[in-house]
Amino acid sequence: MAYDLFLGCVIPARLPYLETSSRKVFEKLGIKLNDVDGFSCCPDPTGIELLDHKTWLSLGARNLSLCNTNGGVVSFCSGCVETLKGVNYAINKDPHVKEEVNDVLKKVGKSYDGKVDVKHFAEILYEYIDKVKAYVDKPLEGFRVAVHYGCHYLRPSEIINWDDPFEPKTVDEIVKALGAESVDYEMKMECCGNPVEKTDKELSLLMIDQKLKAIQDAGANCVVVVCPACYQQYEFNQRELNKQNESTYDFPVFYLSELVALAFGFKPEELGFNFHRIRPTKLFESIKFTP
Amino acid sequence: MSVINYEFRNEVLKHNASLSYCYQCSTCSGGCPVALITSGKYNPRKIIEQAILGLKDKLVEKQEPNSWLCSTCQKCVELCPQKVELTEIFTLVKNLCFESGKVPEGFIAQGQAVLENGVAIPYSKAILSRREKLGLPEIKTAPVDEIRKILIETNFENHLPKGVE
Repeated sequence: MAYDLFLGCVIPARLPYLETSSRKVFEKLGIKLNDVDGFSCCPDPTGIELLDHKTWLSLGARNLSLCNTNGGVVSFCSGCVETLKGVNYAINKDPHVKEEVNDVLKKVGKSYDGKVDVKHFAEILYEYIDKVKAYVDKPLEGFRVAVHYGCHYLRPSEIINWDDPFEPKTVDEIVKALGAESVDYEMKMECCGNPVEKTDKELSLLMIDQKLKAIQDAGANCVVVVCPACYQQYEFNQRELNKQNESTYDFPVFYLSELVALAFGFKPEELGFNFHRIRPTKLFESIKFTP
Repeated sequence: MSVINYEFRNEVLKHNASLSYCYQCSTCSGGCPVALITSGKYNPRKIIEQAILGLKDKLVEKQEPNSWLCSTCQKCVELCPQKVELTEIFTLVKNLCFESGKVPEGFIAQGQAVLENGVAIPYSKAILSRREKLGLPEIKTAPVDEIRKILIETNFENHLPKGVE
């Protein structure tokens, strides 16, 4: 199977090591990803869309108009997936919207029919879960993972049309397939707070603090995410919170693709783990995991 | 004193008729993570109520409650027994705030980045060399002129404040 790859902005331009693990995992599974020239910002469903809905629709439709691989388009980012699925939904639901958007695209010599299939990378990993299991070379024993689904991976369910919006299981199942334990925790389905940061940083910190507390109370030893906004929220704020409060957060934050890659036997050096702010070295030592 | 603005109410209804289904049960606020953490200072039910009443001055001018605090988690949409598309209505309110120039700076910065680069985060030299070290391919992003043309066509460029960092 082959897909066009929509990278978006945050992963390739700020967290490229997350792209590394994702590409490696797809390659190992024999899924071809085509790089496409000329994509813009998806645009951000927690940014540009809130400024101007029509701009969001038009840029999103322009991006989709560049895709032409049979499998459709895949993204490593939940925000991009929500935008691209949302644009499809809006265009297919209302012919007037489709016309309006195409009137804009006409100015740049493009058009979009609303027919490109959009998938989140975890959706594809889940489809391949048997193969994922079969490729596990280093089972992640001792990993007590707090799975954070994030919002845009699931909701609005009518648009995302994928896992259950409140009782999801896909990421938990993948984590378990790798030999790790998924630890249940109280605030599991709550938002990480990242989108609020642009309006109120303090509030956004309170939101992630609540989640980290719950994760600590549940006895998890790391966090896994499937969205770069959630990733930044968890990874970049633990030390800041420890400085502000008397907390002692020290959770390595993994992208789902990183956990899969580790289990497949890739080395931390190949995956760019040295770019993590909270390096997993201590965790590996404490659970006697040798990558 | 708030003034009922029928024109505004009709504008919201025209954009999203689901507004009229709301019977103010407050399920949305009960499930909202931001309402929880602000002890109800941010309150999705209240925003919908003000939209039904057409209180444009509250929603757009004073921003009480502040729609920009919505985390876009979409729980309210999922939970609403009346299928009110709350976040779509909040988006319309925020779009009107943008037209009136009342937007938190972080959003404007993103808008400017997309206008200038086609992407929200341009590739810095450091990132380009890091990408190379990680063995990642070179990415050709959208032609800036083409994106600017679209942003002019949708009036986005026009509403973007000039010279704000």
